[in-house]
Amino acid sequence: MSASLEKSFVNQLQENQNLIHKICRLYTNNEDAHKDLFQEITIQLWKAYPQFRGDAKFTTWAYRVALNTAITLYRKKTRTIDTIEFDSKLHKVNQDEYNYEEEEHIKLLYQAVQQLNDIEKALVFMYLEDKDYNEIAETLGISEVNARVKMNRIKGKLKKILNP
Amino acid sequence: MDELDKLKQDWKKNAGNFPKFSEMEIYAMLHKKSSSIVKWILIISILEFLFWLSLSFLMKDSPSTKQIESFGVDYITIPMSVIGYGIIIYFFCHFYINYRKITTTDNVKTLMDSIIKTRKTVSQYIIANIIFIIISCIVLFTVFFQKDPKLTSAIHTHEANGNAMAFYLIYIILAIVFISIFILIIWLFYKLIYGLLLKRLHRNYEELKKIDL
Repeated sequence: MSASLEKSFVNQLQENQNLIHKICRLYTNNEDAHKDLFQEITIQLWKAYPQFRGDAKFTTWAYRVALNTAITLYRKKTRTIDTIEFDSKLHKVNQDEYNYEEEEHIKLLYQAVQQLNDIEKALVFMYLEDKDYNEIAETLGISEVNARVKMNRIKGKLKKILNP
Repeated sequence: MDELDKLKQDWKKNAGNFPKFSEMEIYAMLHKKSSSIVKWILIISILEFLFWLSLSFLMKDSPSTKQIESFGVDYITIPMSVIGYGIIIYFFCHFYINYRKITTTDNVKTLMDSIIKTRKTVSQYIIANIIFIIISCIVLFTVFFQKDPKLTSAIHTHEANGNAMAFYLIYIILAIVFISIFILIIWLFYKLIYGLLLKRLHRNYEELKKIDL
């Protein structure tokens, strides 16, 4: 692939890398795994980039490839490092804006999401990204009604994890 | 407000808090090797095709193949070779067509379907090979029984002694044991390699199917 194509890809990815970080945030629980998944998503995006048409938004196109990589293509490494340390690191930046209790609650929420399975995490991710149910269903390849039903179940499941 | 909406608030507020990778770091990532399961499936599948292909080449020079050739049964061995290579060509083309259909821009379920379909092609190829080997063994055993001078004289001796049935039985049991061990090794290999590689994919695929029940 040409150098100009590579440059335009790197520029777009650099600008929109938050999207990938957010997916890595849900699917990994330590810094190494986060970087590892980010790298795999980058490789998969680059492979698919020749098919990307400029008329679509880069993020709209990229999030499906990124989700597919996280759910299906990525081979998880078995290393596990304390997740709390990593969570704190990500929250440190805006620490001043939070009071301690709120921050603790949000941390617990993230930890609860970490306990969901890969498909449930995908639904949560798209919900957090304000995707409508039609798009959520289309991305996963399920019906819209069932996407809604599943989302409600996930909400119930999270409640149960947080208040056992 | 439910829990997820609280999380959404934080998600939006902290969306820009991730440490950013520089352009140079992203460039470096592009040239790293992928560790995706599709890549592993491709590597393992090609190795499988090569394994069976090399096995057929190795068999060609084996003493038993030379012995069969000396029996003058070309009308059996030539069609068998044609069928053997036909199986390889047919399945390899199928595998390649299915492999090309794996696209990361598809929806999650379609992508999983394509991967499973590609994998199934190779499994069907292995099954076809095993069936072909079993049929070949039966045909070749029959040829040996009829044409091998040592074997025919042994049969005559046993027939004269009245224990021909026992002789046939031992011969058949040995053949069954040999083929069974062979199939068991292949089955274990499959369980290990693909069990590890596709465990997560199958689990997620089942979960998606469950949602749509």
